Amino acid sequence: MLRPVSDDVQEALRAELERFVEAVATVADADALYELQVQFIGKKGSVSKLRGQMGKLAPEDRKAFGMAFNEVKQQIDAGLERRKQELAEADRQADLGRIEDLTMVPGVSQTGSVHPITRTRRELARVFRGLGFDVVDGPHIEHELYNFDKLNIPANHPARDMQDTFFVDGRDGTAGTDANLVLRTHTSPVQIRTMLQRPPPVRVVAMGTVFRKDDDRTHSPMFHQIEGLCVDKNVTMADLKATLYRFVSAFFGSDLKVRLRPSFFPFVEPGAEFDMECPFCPRDEQGNKQSGCSVCKGSEWIELGGSGMVHPKVLDACGIDPEVYTGWAFGFGIDRMATLLHGVPDLRLLFDGDVRFLEQFRC
Amino acid sequence: MLISRQWIESMLAEGPVLTDETFADAITSLGLEVEGITRHGDGLVDVVVARVDKIAPHPDADKLRLVDIFDGQREITVVCGAPNVPEPGGKVAFARSGAVLPGDFVIGARKIRGVQSEGMLCGEDELGLGNDGSGIMILPDAWEPGTPLPDLVPGIRDTIFELGITPNRPDALGHVGVARDLGVKLQRAFSLPGVELAEAPSLPDLVTLEQPKRCGRYIGRALEGARVGPSPLWLSVRLHRLELRSINNVVDITNYVLMMWGQPLHVFDRSKLAEGRVVVRLATAGEPMTTLDDAKLELTAEDLVIADAKRPAALAGVMGGADSGVEPGASTLLLEAAWFVPGGVRSSARRHQLATDSSYRFERGVDYGARLTAAAATAEALLVELAGASCIGGVDVAGEPPAAPSIVLRHACVQRVLGMAIPTEEARRVLTGLEVQIDGSDADAQWTCVVPTHRPDLVREEDLIEELMRHYGLDRLPDTPSVPTEPPGLRVTEGQRQTDELARLEDGLLDAMRAEGLHEALSFAFCDPSELEPFGDWQQVNVSNPLRAQLSVMRTHMLPGLLRGLANNLAKHGRAVALCEMGRVYSWSFPKDAGRIDRALVASEATAEIDAQLPQERRRACFLVCGGTRGAQSFDGQSEARRVLAVLSRVGLAATVRPANPMQTWLHPGVQAAVAVGGEQVGVVGEVHPDVLRRFEIPEGIRAHYAEIWVDALGHGDVARYAALPNFPATSRDLSLEIPIHVPAAVAIEALSAAEAAAPHTADGPRLRPGDTGADAVEVVDDYRGKGVPDGCRALLLRLHYRAADRSVTDDEVQALHDVVLSNALQTLASVAPGVRAR
Repeated sequence: MLRPVSDDVQEALRAELERFVEAVATVADADALYELQVQFIGKKGSVSKLRGQMGKLAPEDRKAFGMAFNEVKQQIDAGLERRKQELAEADRQADLGRIEDLTMVPGVSQTGSVHPITRTRRELARVFRGLGFDVVDGPHIEHELYNFDKLNIPANHPARDMQDTFFVDGRDGTAGTDANLVLRTHTSPVQIRTMLQRPPPVRVVAMGTVFRKDDDRTHSPMFHQIEGLCVDKNVTMADLKATLYRFVSAFFGSDLKVRLRPSFFPFVEPGAEFDMECPFCPRDEQGNKQSGCSVCKGSEWIELGGSGMVHPKVLDACGIDPEVYTGWAFGFGIDRMATLLHGVPDLRLLFDGDVRFLEQFRC
Repeated sequence: MLISRQWIESMLAEGPVLTDETFADAITSLGLEVEGITRHGDGLVDVVVARVDKIAPHPDADKLRLVDIFDGQREITVVCGAPNVPEPGGKVAFARSGAVLPGDFVIGARKIRGVQSEGMLCGEDELGLGNDGSGIMILPDAWEPGTPLPDLVPGIRDTIFELGITPNRPDALGHVGVARDLGVKLQRAFSLPGVELAEAPSLPDLVTLEQPKRCGRYIGRALEGARVGPSPLWLSVRLHRLELRSINNVVDITNYVLMMWGQPLHVFDRSKLAEGRVVVRLATAGEPMTTLDDAKLELTAEDLVIADAKRPAALAGVMGGADSGVEPGASTLLLEAAWFVPGGVRSSARRHQLATDSSYRFERGVDYGARLTAAAATAEALLVELAGASCIGGVDVAGEPPAAPSIVLRHACVQRVLGMAIPTEEARRVLTGLEVQIDGSDADAQWTCVVPTHRPDLVREEDLIEELMRHYGLDRLPDTPSVPTEPPGLRVTEGQRQTDELARLEDGLLDAMRAEGLHEALSFAFCDPSELEPFGDWQQVNVSNPLRAQLSVMRTHMLPGLLRGLANNLAKHGRAVALCEMGRVYSWSFPKDAGRIDRALVASEATAEIDAQLPQERRRACFLVCGGTRGAQSFDGQSEARRVLAVLSRVGLAATVRPANPMQTWLHPGVQAAVAVGGEQVGVVGEVHPDVLRRFEIPEGIRAHYAEIWVDALGHGDVARYAALPNFPATSRDLSLEIPIHVPAAVAIEALSAAEAAAPHTADGPRLRPGDTGADAVEVVDDYRGKGVPDGCRALLLRLHYRAADRSVTDDEVQALHDVVLSNALQTLASVAPGVRAR
């Protein structure tokens, strides 16, 4: 026997390879595979150990052994790699086998809601900012000078009866009428503040809470108004109408006409109420109105609010020369706009905080 | 104001036939808004005059009678229960079979207790012509049987328009004013019967005018031989249609003139006036007077009265006195037609809380000129005709009426205000039609106009422009887009910048709360004083004249409004509630710690003087959550602290929650904290105190959590600055602290952070920094209570993360720093929170 050692070692190599092939097939995860790798070809692995016997071989056998060793090593490497791929694929398949029922959405949504009045306010602000108006505000508790006198509603004048006023006691407990303080009855005092604070040209809208001593199905003692004011050279009733038309069309997103009717508000002259074409009436495919609807009660028009040319006395009271400047103003209720827009039947729903009502306005 | 179409039409020349709706549109287009249209009497064409021929008892009923009548066509037997059927020959109102009475009551033939009855003898209430339900209508003997009632009294068939008259149009508070305006609009000529007072002897002693400044004119007419009695049907029907009750002929005549001319008149029983004369004077302070409706007044020296030689007989322009009223039997009368200063009448009416048809008109301003004369003349003529009176003399005393202004109307100014020109001839037609006298030709650039005395609202050029606009029509306005002389946004004022910034902040907070699952509610800004009791003295702002006590004080806190909302929800459905609100709170003086002064509202010197007199208003963003009564959801203090931090984080503000100081008495003492940004408190969060919940009738055992953010105290979020990314791993140390339950974790964390900040550091050494997982530099890992920890204490497991900016740190240097931090922190804690120790 000239080459017994070499043959034995080669035999051992083959045996290890067979043992490996058998073992690798049963490996179930990456950790076990790594253990197997250590067991056979790690530093102290069974195959690695056989390589250490090379030194004992006759030099002429060493080449053949080296080749055999490399082949076994490569086969083991390849086996490990193949098994690794198989395991990864099995994992992937297992992962893809997972099933979750996405139709079972949890019942209660986590999103809150924004009050319809706030929504409407924001939309109004967006439209008027687009038309070049600043949005301004003022205090809720006002001095009669701004809420009435400077608006050409003098004391002891029946025009004050147009608005049922809440008075506020003075700092030292003075009764309301003597303290000259009121809960603002309209957003118009903000007109006065604005004109006192900035010289023309003025283009602003004021929005906010106002108060009147009134409480029934269609009136709430607290409600919300928007007021627009434009003071500049060459401002006319015609561009008041044109601005209202552009606002209404932009707000409702369709071409809606505006109608003015003469009326009286002490701080404008001439004064007019303004109506808009009803945006809710059914229309045919060409967009032509077919009939009236329940919102406009068949009239095809919806009354919105008051408007007019700023009274020269009001301009005067704010230090603006009415011979140089003219102005217009308009105002209307935001709550009514909101109830129209969202189809809310009763004003009281707006203020009693029922979550079943509020959550209807998530977007 | 109710207006009879039939009456209006009688003053206008014939014109095209208009439907009621078109007629109403024309009135509305003048600025006299039609708010309601009611058609009357169409079913009454089959109600005719009938003659009573025979009356017999009903065979089967004591209270009924069989009345044979002649209705102009045939004899008919009618069963009638009325007590006042006239003797044969008398005339009554008979509804033929087929007539439709008010209430859609169709008259037919029917058997009444076995007797066939066809048609019905009617009372005025049944016909809708009056309120008297005591019997059937007795008609004048002269009326022919068979004549339909509406033919004899045209006012029976009429359309009544309800008009909303604005305070500037006192002239439209009578039919003449409306007809005048409408005549110009519809281009129909307007005509009136004679309106001059009859000649009569002068009686200068009848009226003494002591206050010419308060009474611009006083016409007094003395009449004799008047017989107070019922009014004729045409008069009572006219008043009834206008919803005025027929009293007697004298009172009805003054009401009729009121409705016709808009001019309040008064009639005294002259025999009850001391010396039979009146004095227009001021009352003396404390002088007593009893009004027609028996109110006892204590007059002041500012009240203008119409007195007789001794005592007040009427509060001028407001109401007559009880003693001098015209009652049945009166025969000598004093008719008053006067003009009183509007402000004076208004003051008296308000002072004595009397609002009458008369004061309503005087306050707005009636005519002191031609229409006052016309009203007196109309009334007198009717007193003569209907009450048989005769005038024995009168006097017309002039006081100091306002001067009729003369107004320059520049045609260019019409264009300047309206943005459209109105043809000169049209302008002339309109103004002339409205009785404005024009001095100027069509070629002139401007006219000088004298306005009629019945239009006190016309005082300046713009007023005349409005008249032209009303009649020419607003529909003719061109579409002229508004072009600013200066592009918007060119000047940004500091005030506007702040307003915009605040609006963005409020929008951001609201959107954040919405994203956090909260539903925005709006509650009233006023509340019940008792609802504010839990909050202590906040110098509340009181409403002087609240609608009801529950709304009598301006809120100083937002919580009551949200709690009312919660109570409402629980009572209705019991579901979980998550409400939020953006709103203002009000106080004469807010405590120092409640957010700094409102920035945007007190921004300008121009309004500073007024602003200083106003209470303070602060903005709040707040929310209230409650799991409801069904147990579907639950919240706790920690979940809400997280929520309030999340809300602030969404508007770019890094907030912290720290121990409440001072404690809020209206929150649960063990479940509350302060919310701070950059070291300054900006809000609170916690569980609502159970005593407060009880006050709002929230069921026992229900908990609610509340947070509020003081919006005015918030700065805007700083612009984020880049910091170098951590390139080297952090090293952490765990620390178990045994601390009393009432000591917040934040106290321990703050002590550790402060100790670390104060510890000696090398330039590149380890510092307390967020950990590799992104956790806080001092992270709370566990909060353990129970076995192994003494009662009243808990074991807080904290993890402290250390790292250096640009190198790896060694265990030794971290340990060295940690030891210093721990010992210094424990030393601090020993003084602020005794009982804390390391485990």
